Amino acid sequence: MRTLRNIGFAAAAAGCFCAVSGTALAAGGKTQPVAISFALVDEGKEVGCGAPLANLGTSHLAAKLHEARLYVYGFKLIDAKGKRTPVALDQSEWQYGDVALLDFKDARGGNAPCTQANPAKNVAIVGNAPAGSYVGLEFSVGAPLETIVDGKPVAINHSNVETAAPPLDVVGMAWNWQAGRRFITFEFDPVTPVVKADGSKTRTWMVHVGSTGCKGNPATGEIVSCLHENRFTVALDRFDPKTQRVELDLTRLLENSDIAADKGGAVGCMSALDDPECPAVFAALGLTLGDVAAGAGDGGKQTKAGVSPVFKVGGGTSAKVVGSKQ
Amino acid sequence: MRRASLFGLALAVAAAFAASAETAKPQEKPQDKQANWNWDLPKYVPPPRVPADNPMSEEKFQLGRHLFYDKRLSGNGTVACASCHLQERAFTDGRVVGVGSTGEKTPRNAPSIVNSGWHATFTWANPALVTLERQMENPLYGERPIEMGVDDANKAEIVGRFRADADYDKWFAAAFPEKKSADRISFDTIIKAISTFQRGVISFDSRYDQYLQGKIKLGEAEQRGHDLYFGEKAECHHCHGSVNLDDQFVHAKTREAETPFHNTGLYDIDGKGAYPEPNHGLYDITQDPDDMGKFRAPSLRNIAVTGPYMHDGTVATLEEVIDIYARSGRKIEKGPNAGDGALSPLKSPLIVKIDLTPQEKADLLAFLKALTDETLLTSPRFSDPWKAQAAKK
Repeated sequence: MRTLRNIGFAAAAAGCFCAVSGTALAAGGKTQPVAISFALVDEGKEVGCGAPLANLGTSHLAAKLHEARLYVYGFKLIDAKGKRTPVALDQSEWQYGDVALLDFKDARGGNAPCTQANPAKNVAIVGNAPAGSYVGLEFSVGAPLETIVDGKPVAINHSNVETAAPPLDVVGMAWNWQAGRRFITFEFDPVTPVVKADGSKTRTWMVHVGSTGCKGNPATGEIVSCLHENRFTVALDRFDPKTQRVELDLTRLLENSDIAADKGGAVGCMSALDDPECPAVFAALGLTLGDVAAGAGDGGKQTKAGVSPVFKVGGGTSAKVVGSKQ
Repeated sequence: MRRASLFGLALAVAAAFAASAETAKPQEKPQDKQANWNWDLPKYVPPPRVPADNPMSEEKFQLGRHLFYDKRLSGNGTVACASCHLQERAFTDGRVVGVGSTGEKTPRNAPSIVNSGWHATFTWANPALVTLERQMENPLYGERPIEMGVDDANKAEIVGRFRADADYDKWFAAAFPEKKSADRISFDTIIKAISTFQRGVISFDSRYDQYLQGKIKLGEAEQRGHDLYFGEKAECHHCHGSVNLDDQFVHAKTREAETPFHNTGLYDIDGKGAYPEPNHGLYDITQDPDDMGKFRAPSLRNIAVTGPYMHDGTVATLEEVIDIYARSGRKIEKGPNAGDGALSPLKSPLIVKIDLTPQEKADLLAFLKALTDETLLTSPRFSDPWKAQAAKK
């Protein structure tokens, strides 16, 4: 019951926040603020910013985190009956509509771990939801096709990076060859260089995930469809935002990958069906890479609804729960 | 006195007209500008599709022309769009593959920008890129390889270079009168202006066009080459048969655009039709095994001056290109890419062996040379405005 009490407490304290945000809330209803923290972990320890990474992948290598950012959207709180209630995100340079950008790197870009003086750029989403008792959380990873802003649908994934509202204006997350966005960018510089299939060496092993096989309509100039969506949903049946956080586990992400080697295609995995590094990465994310059987149409879809092995519930950062396990 | 009063009236009307034109200017809608743009096309060419949010105007064309030739647009200030798209080479660069601002090579041969306003899709093989505006994000922001080298860290600085320039301030104001001065100079407007310039770089004044317009007769060899090109023997027209001499031609009134891509048997490195890394063509986008080695058929306008040829620039001369098509694919004898493309199981059924005599090959070549548009290659309208400006000083 601790979860419920905490949320109730938050609701009581929420009054003053209600006016600031809340675009999609029931009229007249009370709201409560919602803040959900994310953390990047490696071997169970929080990393991010310039913190050294240890024991990654099948060669158990130390590495430097080069990039770690992802778009997330569609946050919903789950009540005891399983009913989903959307969270209205505050609108800011990190949040637009129901979409947010998480960035686990620090602005300084050195070798220091995240501290209060050197924080990660954005590792929490903030908003509000109708007051209620909630026990779980659901969100999706990726940039949706569109989102609702001021009651109107607005294109997201295929919008112009030049004119899009922040955080969709970030050039580094634009995936121009697919006329869309990168949903996930993780890049690692292992201590030993990455050896490519032809024997040449390179510094960075990359994970880029986005919708692929996209096609435009030349008669209208618009993107009409992508063959492989590559978005997925994370459902956490038990989650207390006051004491817990969502952890993204790099150890798990790279569990079956060798970041010292690249056997073909892009260095690491950039969502190509024929890239030898993609099956392991996609399995860890919970995505089916290509159609399991020809014509099955399951390529680019989530393998099991709500399940992404790299995401889990972790202990929070508040004094009370430091060091505690879920 | 009657005459004088009439004259007076005319003056007054003219003055009123001038005044209203003056005051009307700030409220002028972009659509009005579009109406003022004169495509000046031959009868057989319909105007291209222009995005509703980026109408044509002379001011925008001229701004785009300055930007196209301006090295300040690259992150480190070393290359401009024009570095890989040279007017005298019909806006290609003569290199096997392009070279970016940091010296990195692109995987592919720089395509021409000429008549690109009519392309259905852009680059050598990408169905996701259906506007010039979208295409441009790739050379601007691309990281693998870096071309123009624009990124989040230097984007504001690059925009600042143009904001600090009084001439550009004037040109952007003229090109984007509907925008407030604070957001007049941005990557959005930079991309729109350059796209407008590119849409305006048109080429329909080759000997072939003059022939189509009834102004000249083709020479005997050219005419025989023409007949081969459009006939059922050489069949060039199957993929190069639109008025732009390609097969992805979209214009203002197109309802449904065809976007064919073709495997022409340039490679078969594994006996199953594979093309070498990193250029798998359409397959790189769709991941459909049947799409291996499929590329967009480029326009053959100005083809004589745009060598080397093919997506990876690996065919040096037009003579060799004709030989490859005559034998229905390229045979590479040795090396990592060895294999006979003519035998590729993925090759387009349109590519079949043609028994061309040396005379027929020469005729075809003569016709292809008649597709060169000297006006395009030399017109001051498309030339480097900075050179002209420097010459004046």
